[in-house]
Amino acid sequence: MASTGQGKKRTARPAAKKSARAVRAKKDSGGQPAGDAKPPASTMDWMNDSPEWGMRAQPGKKGMTLDDIAIGSYGEIPDRSEEMTRMPRGAFHVPGVPRLEFYPLSKKVDLWADNAAGLYEEAIQRRWMAHVDVPWGTLEPLPRDLELSMCQLCTELAQQATIETDSIGQWIGRMNYAYYEVKTFLASELYDSARHYDVFRTRALANGGALGMESPGMINRRIIESRAGWTETAVFMYLLRGPFTLMLYRYGEAYALNAAEKRLFRLCIQDKARHLAYGMAHAKYAISEMGDDYAVGMLRMMSGVERDMATEMKDPVLWEALAIIFGGGLENISSGMEVVEELQKRYVNEYMARMQWVGIDKTLDNLAPDLAAYVKQESGAAS
Amino acid sequence: MATVTEHQTYWEKAKDSGFDLGWLNQLKENVVGQEVAEVSDNLTGRVEGSIPRPGVAQFGAYPFRTKKEVWGYNLRKLYEEFVTRQWSSATDIPWETLEELPDDIEAAECQLATFFAQVEFVAADVPGRFISTMSPDYQEVRMALLGQVMDESRHLDVFRKRALANGGGLMRMIDSVTDVVGGSTDNAREYTELSTRMHIVGEGNVLTLFRLGELMAYNEAEKAIYRRCAQDEARHVAIGVLHARYMKECSPERIEEMHSYLDEAENRQSSGAGGENPAARNMLTSEALAVLLGGGKDKADEGQKILMAVRQKQVKEYFQRLKSAGLDDRITNGRVNPSLLEAYNSA
Repeated sequence: MASTGQGKKRTARPAAKKSARAVRAKKDSGGQPAGDAKPPASTMDWMNDSPEWGMRAQPGKKGMTLDDIAIGSYGEIPDRSEEMTRMPRGAFHVPGVPRLEFYPLSKKVDLWADNAAGLYEEAIQRRWMAHVDVPWGTLEPLPRDLELSMCQLCTELAQQATIETDSIGQWIGRMNYAYYEVKTFLASELYDSARHYDVFRTRALANGGALGMESPGMINRRIIESRAGWTETAVFMYLLRGPFTLMLYRYGEAYALNAAEKRLFRLCIQDKARHLAYGMAHAKYAISEMGDDYAVGMLRMMSGVERDMATEMKDPVLWEALAIIFGGGLENISSGMEVVEELQKRYVNEYMARMQWVGIDKTLDNLAPDLAAYVKQESGAAS
Repeated sequence: MATVTEHQTYWEKAKDSGFDLGWLNQLKENVVGQEVAEVSDNLTGRVEGSIPRPGVAQFGAYPFRTKKEVWGYNLRKLYEEFVTRQWSSATDIPWETLEELPDDIEAAECQLATFFAQVEFVAADVPGRFISTMSPDYQEVRMALLGQVMDESRHLDVFRKRALANGGGLMRMIDSVTDVVGGSTDNAREYTELSTRMHIVGEGNVLTLFRLGELMAYNEAEKAIYRRCAQDEARHVAIGVLHARYMKECSPERIEEMHSYLDEAENRQSSGAGGENPAARNMLTSEALAVLLGGGKDKADEGQKILMAVRQKQVKEYFQRLKSAGLDDRITNGRVNPSLLEAYNSA
């Protein structure tokens, strides 16, 4: 259903008639808009302007959620919106209001995911506080190399959160208000990214360590510089980078050195799983709507990005830090590296599986060779 | 813990096995200071205090990379308040207390809710854009703004929920035209411009209204909505006041410019142009407010009198913010918009 914002039905309320003001404005769409040049006479005619008078949303078991208010015409998601005024979806449209903004993302296919509303509510229900919910008191002095390795991991993860902030911050204001569920979900993800930055930077500095080296930056650059569309950015952020981040969180939890780390990684896993759930649902929807050519385009687009990923993965800093953490110290770095290799292999496999799930035919045969090598490598081989 | 000798052995063994470990030496030398850089050379999105690598593309290219453009006092503390006071529109509002209201009251409540559902997320879209243009070296500012983005998102959702929860539904969109008087929030290209306009004036006016929510609420659910939104909005206003204070102290050369933003904002506030102040004259929301404050359509005249007092309170609180920000000389030197001064003096 295309939305032009015009011609809202308004029949539910008894005796409700289209207001004289609205009719007047419609006839005179090229004229002076009411409300600014001179004060309109008080008519209270806006009282008749509910398109769905009498319709009531009911709270469900989880309270009054966004899904609970997706009722009647309010729940109809337009395939595209030409409304550039921030009018709430389903409100009474007044003709002749000039555009306030140009929203390049005004088609459902550009940003939609059916699960966005539910994920937004989940983000709020599962909110947590880095300074309160992490038992910082359980941190105890660690051997220097081990502590600094954890600091390096946390520095990398804090930077990944920063890049997420910057990327979504660039896009959220370009999204049409007709898709407010997605905008509100992404607002929650922005907020999560602040918390992730906060918790990882705090951990890096909380136990006598220091901040580590910045990321090699190739994938950060890809995400920030992505401009072909939100879906393309989403594929970078939620299918290539996201599973990698999630994998680091999972291993971080599994090899946590104390209860504080265990807890913070666990909480971050919840958040990141939500982000990926939106990103994958959107990518799958967009690809299913756009068709095979689009999926092939995505496949070709990723071949260059994968090469950057492979180059970034050759950088030893993060892997060596992880190897020290997984091994429990510098003395066991070699055995720790075996776990790193397992992580790398799992990541690349997961990347391919997620690409397949959304409809991009990623296989070992068309994967960048240097990434494919991680899948093919024998356990225990040197990094 | 390993002895020094043992550690040396482990190190050499690891090096012999082909590990680089050069990064570990660099970390050992890295001292993270407390000082916030006056000028940020961070163009790669690295975490403040982390070790830069040579050769990384400068993809960040953040336009805002000096402290004096963005900084505010005590933002770290404010961020923690953001985090601590988050709430859920789904479960923290007693929706079950909604009962059928007279049509005129329901329509007025929904018209006001439609207004907030339309405007609140502006204060998420625009800061969102600014956050991504600020150097991560000023993370405290970014985090406070990210807290605001979350709050505004919740405000959009709670007012939409209120509109749809009790039979009224979304009402008429805001039809005021933003650019009749220059200087809208959306147009800001500079952070101080945005903050002066949005935090100190725009959000401030809404804060006054939320604080008076008891007067507009007809059940516990609405009271809870206004009360919680007022808490949130107070933090947003604080971002602006804390920034203005910093600017006053550290960038006095920009004070005149800030006053010029206030000139525009006051003009909009007093005329109702731009549709940002729901209590302003000429706004259809002012009629809705009159109905709510008076207690019905037939008591709207009484409501208009209360609304005048609301406008006076908006001005009074605005003047208080000017004092707090150190910009109150405009109140006494004749610069403040005369209609605001008149409202203040008649209070």
